[in-house]
Amino acid sequence: MAPSLLHPPSQLSPAAALQLSQKAPTVLQSSPSTVSSSPLSALFTASETPDLWIKYENLLLSCLRTGDERAAHQCLERLVTRFGNDNERIMALKGLLKEADAQNNGELEKVLEEYDQILSDNATNIPIAKRRIALLRSMGRVSEAVSSLVQLLDFSPTDAEAWSELGDIYLSQGLYSQAIYALEEVLLLVPNAWNIHARLGEVQYMAATASGAGDVSSQKSLAEALKRFARSIELCDDYLRGYYGLKLVTTRILREPPNRTKQDDADDFVLPDTSTAERLHELATEKLSEIVRHYTLQDRGWRGYDESEIAAARDLLAKNAAGA
Amino acid sequence: MAQAPVQTIHRDPQLFYWILFPITAVMILTGILRHYATVLMASAPKQLDQKTMREQRSLLHGINVRTNFHTLSRKSFNARRDALTAAYESGAYLKDPERRGQAPPNPMSDPSSMEGMMGMMKNQMAMVIPNTLIMSWINAFFSGYVIMKLPFPLTIKFKSMLQAGVATKDMDPRWMSSISWYFLCIFGLQPVFNFLLGSDNAASQMAQQMGQMGPQAGQMFGPGVDPDKQFLAEAENLAVIEHYSVLDGIENRLLQGIKA
Repeated sequence: MAPSLLHPPSQLSPAAALQLSQKAPTVLQSSPSTVSSSPLSALFTASETPDLWIKYENLLLSCLRTGDERAAHQCLERLVTRFGNDNERIMALKGLLKEADAQNNGELEKVLEEYDQILSDNATNIPIAKRRIALLRSMGRVSEAVSSLVQLLDFSPTDAEAWSELGDIYLSQGLYSQAIYALEEVLLLVPNAWNIHARLGEVQYMAATASGAGDVSSQKSLAEALKRFARSIELCDDYLRGYYGLKLVTTRILREPPNRTKQDDADDFVLPDTSTAERLHELATEKLSEIVRHYTLQDRGWRGYDESEIAAARDLLAKNAAGA
Repeated sequence: MAQAPVQTIHRDPQLFYWILFPITAVMILTGILRHYATVLMASAPKQLDQKTMREQRSLLHGINVRTNFHTLSRKSFNARRDALTAAYESGAYLKDPERRGQAPPNPMSDPSSMEGMMGMMKNQMAMVIPNTLIMSWINAFFSGYVIMKLPFPLTIKFKSMLQAGVATKDMDPRWMSSISWYFLCIFGLQPVFNFLLGSDNAASQMAQQMGQMGPQAGQMFGPGVDPDKQFLAEAENLAVIEHYSVLDGIENRLLQGIKA
């Protein structure tokens, strides 16, 4: 799929982002820099569409990623002339640009002070609050970032982006149960997001691995991880990460069969019996090798996978075949 | 039965240039003017302060938990339910907990809700004033004669509408007077405005009236609604949920689904 300027560029690969930002001069030239709001000119020229401004915003982000700061400034200028300096989203973009321009920590501190200033005027400026948290995190002040994020989520608990960021920070600190809680909150907001289901499965699996095998709590996490991966596959039946996780978990279950004596709590998920686990394992292996095969042949409809994820799946399959 | 003879009325062709055309042009121009007046008068959406936002979004959070509880395991759902119910019942999310239990303030005296009403008033005014003006203008200048004949037959019921101001008993209802042309313009100019101003224009009063009929988005947190009662109701809703999870028996579901 060719990268489009109409989608946020955050999950594009570096190459795709570069490709987008190289288009910057032509896009900037071909699109109008301002749109007149007078009724006469509206009759004769193309009218303003939201797409145009989304394009500028995404172009700005891509240009920043690839270091084309001149084009980024141009985009911002146009956005500012349209929306003014007081728009919350524009303020966040301006801050982002300042962060990118900063040469050393002192300048970043200055940007942070500005954010604090803005937030003391208007505490509900969510884009700026998020920028401040991101800046704190990138400056390595993780605990401050977490406390600000928790504060943000206290007054805005319906923000999926913030919850997943919180989950990510907790995970990076190794706080699995907190990360799981945050990811569950994301799922409450977007119940059918298969990637979040798989992510939650990954975190549960990590938690299970960390707490040592044979442990009761580790078995519970393992059971839930298995179910999460299965759910993500149910929602999207070509999802590589789901199959990968399913294979990992079932391999582990088959290698270390659970002792069933301790399963007394009816509230918790139970690990499936061995035959089900075996069938799930077969299913995951089959599907993974199918995906890898089709991707290698570059079949139509199978090209959208990430290169590194395919490589990881190939490794896993090879390791499994060698072990068996 | 004898056919009624076709009525012919000889009209001055100048009628077209001096009545039909001016009325249409004036209607279009007022529509455009109204659009821009509405755009200019529109007040920016009100900024919520942090406590109000907290109150509203906490309630939404509870609603989300209630609707999507099936994504959670029983244990995590119970933890959330206990926490939310306790917080809702103790009023922890209320904007000002001291005012709890008192009657909600009168919406008329609350300045923040007054603003919303002012906005509505302004819109109403922008519709009513030009309509009255144009109608009286047409009545004063162009009333009392027939300006055109519709190309399709109509029943007698339309007579009072189409021939307003022309009191001739036997005339075919197909003949219409200037005031009826005005009404036709009111109802029929929407596509013209769509073409001129884009589809979300404020020129036509018909669209605005439709908007008022429709459900109002902000109703849930509107003035006069007691948030404490909403929280208590939500706590009850959460308490009665019988939990199940989509993860129950998913392995078998998956195996069967793939095999099938």
